[in-house]
Amino acid sequence: MTNKHSDCRNFAPVDVAKGICHRTKDLVITDSLPCENFLNLPKCRNCRLYKPDPTEPVMGLCQAEKDRPWTYAELVAITCQWYAESE
Amino acid sequence: YRGSFPMPWLSESYFMAKEDELYQEAVSRGSAAADEVTKWGAGGGNVTASFGQVVSIAGKFGIRQEEVTPLLKLARAWSGRSVEDTSRRWEELVPDYQIKENLMRSVICMFESGFTLPQGREVTNYYYPLQYGFDGLLEIAESKRSLVAGNADGDGLRGMDRLYFYQAVIEVLRGLQAWIEHYAEEARRLACREEDPAQKGEYAELAERLTWIAHYPPRTFSEALQLTYFLHTAVLNEDCISGLSPGRLGQILWPWYEQDRQAGRIDDQQVLEWWELYRVKLTCYDCFAAMGVVGGVLSGNTFNHLCLGGLTKDGASAVNPLEMLILEAGITCATPQPTLGVLYHEKLPEEFLLKAIETNKTGTGYPAWLNDETARTFLLQQYGPEGMTVEESRAWSVGGCLETSPGTWQPLVLNGKTYWIPGGSGQPTSVGVHFLSLPKILECVLFNGYDHRRQIQVYPPHDRGLDRFEEVCSTFRQYLELSIDLLVKCNNIQHDIWRKQNMAILHSLLKPDCLDLGYHIGNLGYRYNATFSVESCGTANLINSLAALKKWVYQEKTYTLDEVRQAIRENFGYQTAEEIGSYSLSAQEKRPGGAVYDRIHRDLLDAPKYGNDDPFADSLLRWWEDTFCQLCHHYQSLYAKPLYPCQISVSTHGPQGAATLATPDGRLAGTTFADGSMSAYPGTDHCGPYALFQSATIWDHSQSQNSQMNLKIHPNAVHGLTGSRKLLELTRAYLRRGAFHIQYNIVDSQMLRDAQLHPENYRTMMVRVAGFTQYWVEIGKAIQDEVIARTEYEAV
Repeated sequence: MTNKHSDCRNFAPVDVAKGICHRTKDLVITDSLPCENFLNLPKCRNCRLYKPDPTEPVMGLCQAEKDRPWTYAELVAITCQWYAESE
Repeated sequence: YRGSFPMPWLSESYFMAKEDELYQEAVSRGSAAADEVTKWGAGGGNVTASFGQVVSIAGKFGIRQEEVTPLLKLARAWSGRSVEDTSRRWEELVPDYQIKENLMRSVICMFESGFTLPQGREVTNYYYPLQYGFDGLLEIAESKRSLVAGNADGDGLRGMDRLYFYQAVIEVLRGLQAWIEHYAEEARRLACREEDPAQKGEYAELAERLTWIAHYPPRTFSEALQLTYFLHTAVLNEDCISGLSPGRLGQILWPWYEQDRQAGRIDDQQVLEWWELYRVKLTCYDCFAAMGVVGGVLSGNTFNHLCLGGLTKDGASAVNPLEMLILEAGITCATPQPTLGVLYHEKLPEEFLLKAIETNKTGTGYPAWLNDETARTFLLQQYGPEGMTVEESRAWSVGGCLETSPGTWQPLVLNGKTYWIPGGSGQPTSVGVHFLSLPKILECVLFNGYDHRRQIQVYPPHDRGLDRFEEVCSTFRQYLELSIDLLVKCNNIQHDIWRKQNMAILHSLLKPDCLDLGYHIGNLGYRYNATFSVESCGTANLINSLAALKKWVYQEKTYTLDEVRQAIRENFGYQTAEEIGSYSLSAQEKRPGGAVYDRIHRDLLDAPKYGNDDPFADSLLRWWEDTFCQLCHHYQSLYAKPLYPCQISVSTHGPQGAATLATPDGRLAGTTFADGSMSAYPGTDHCGPYALFQSATIWDHSQSQNSQMNLKIHPNAVHGLTGSRKLLELTRAYLRRGAFHIQYNIVDSQMLRDAQLHPENYRTMMVRVAGFTQYWVEIGKAIQDEVIARTEYEAV
């Protein structure tokens, strides 16, 4: 899976199409390729406790909680206290 | 850049209806070519079409492709359980419910109330967090929770609810603190990584400010302004709201500004920049409401109204230097939000009034001018039974576009000095019965309750000959009463389901007297609850149509009613606006053989028109206003309070015009109505503004929550300081006659026509549509045509 700016911790989204890079202060297109200073942004799909839904590629379950609530791969998990980055 | 998020728990039908379309759009987007990625949404900030990884919703919002599936899953989870679906099941038990459905399908009523924008068009209140801070509020809530736990205290209905309310308040307050502290952590993280010393310092200062306001009352102007912005954003996260107005923010934040200035902690250049940043951040707010609301009513605006001026608690001018800076920021950083309003009173200083006029002359359309005296007379009449006093009426402000909203004075103590600051204390307004299309109701009177456009029998046939003009008026009143009666009942049910399923805790605790009493909004915790209204649209066209019928059919008997009906059905020999894609009267095209209707069309156009100080037409306005203003009080909201009239059109004069045949005043089918309520129909006011003012003030504006007068003036007419003084005198001339509101588009119509042809050159141009200022390029064509067609006054 190719990383985009919206997968980088340095990216601050402005709207659905663009955002600001905290490092360079430039306006960047959300879906364009990031630079070598890419820093992984905590997202459910990057977490060891995320279980993808085999029938629906963007959806999955969170195994951190007993009742395993549904979530989705791209959900940003910066403030999630159970987030555990997978290797 | 703007954002919003849908609330399927309120209304999910839009997504369910579009489910397949949205899902296919998301899947197909996956294969988009690379160059599409850089294509910006056309029409200003609206995402009018999908592009790259972005899916367009309602021709306005863009959602990331990867979020469509979770949104649809969330919407499905609420299907059958949202406020909308639950309301539907109960509404259908209202007798004659089918007539209510007909009113919606024929667009006699523009949109539902309880699950579209159930809160809003109200003035919020930041007092409690500003005075006590979140830790202080937690202490208050915890001590009150202990006091009420298990006690009904004489109220067998609401007493026990207080425990649950205070617990919810505690949970919400803790959530707010965690939310603000997350931002503080992020600011600290950014400060650590930042190399540029100035930026590093700003991040560190931001972190310190956020850490403090997450717990304690603000100490400085920047902390106080930051806290109000967090609160504003938090309330908008709790419910679907348009018109969440900050109120008189320059007077609310005065204590910190005064003391910071005295201590030399801040200068006016910094404060101006803060206000500019505030304008940018308030313009970020957008709102996604239910179907038909996004484009048709709001034109994508959210009407956050910041008011200036008015009176202090003890009746002096409330203008202060901070408000001069707010006006200045409205010039140096022109954005649609917040819109500005001056609460005009004779005591306000000339320097301030001329500064407001200068702001008008930049062409942004704000500030609007509102009559403090007339508004307070209305407030005392409507809220007197709930304890409103003359002193408390002075704390009012404007809810959304122009909704007069009740306020309360509260003692803000800062470093030992007490300041009385105004804040909102009333329920939402512009809820109850939304936009009734008056010309469409008259059309149904002429055609025995039948809508020829939709081919439905909207009302029960009246089967009257309409042989006398009085019979037209009495039948109109009968259909109007039936419409209001049904819509009030159905919307009362919707709001009752809303208060049972979707109660806003934060917005309850922010306004007096929920925190003191322990009652949330739905339990009548706010101080003022008689806030529901009946809205109207198309006033000028109704009056002009009645005048034309009265003259040519009933007095001069030049035409029979059947001849008028025939001419209306044939659109006076013209093609329809939809057929030619233009909604402006001046751009219509004849149909071959259409000349047969020229004479009747000319006569109807020549009939006396509202806006020219002509008693023939203006007496009909007097009849209508006296009828409508009295009628509304006969109906009760779910809170058992009387309704009142609300006479603004927002942008419903576009779509409701589109749904209406030609009208007896000579307006063609599908074209927009006149905007507002006191604005003349474009091109029919030809005796100058003072004649228009005479016509508009033939009735008592304090009988209504508002009235709305838009005037278009050519920039040359108000050039220089002399021009400014003329515009101020023009404003005074109208308000001194007791009128409630006036606002100006100071713009050249030629430029507007060019902006229609070359929108790319006008992406930041703004115009005043109704009670709001919007980017020209984001307004629908119908409204653009109407703004262009408005009479342009080249001299004042």
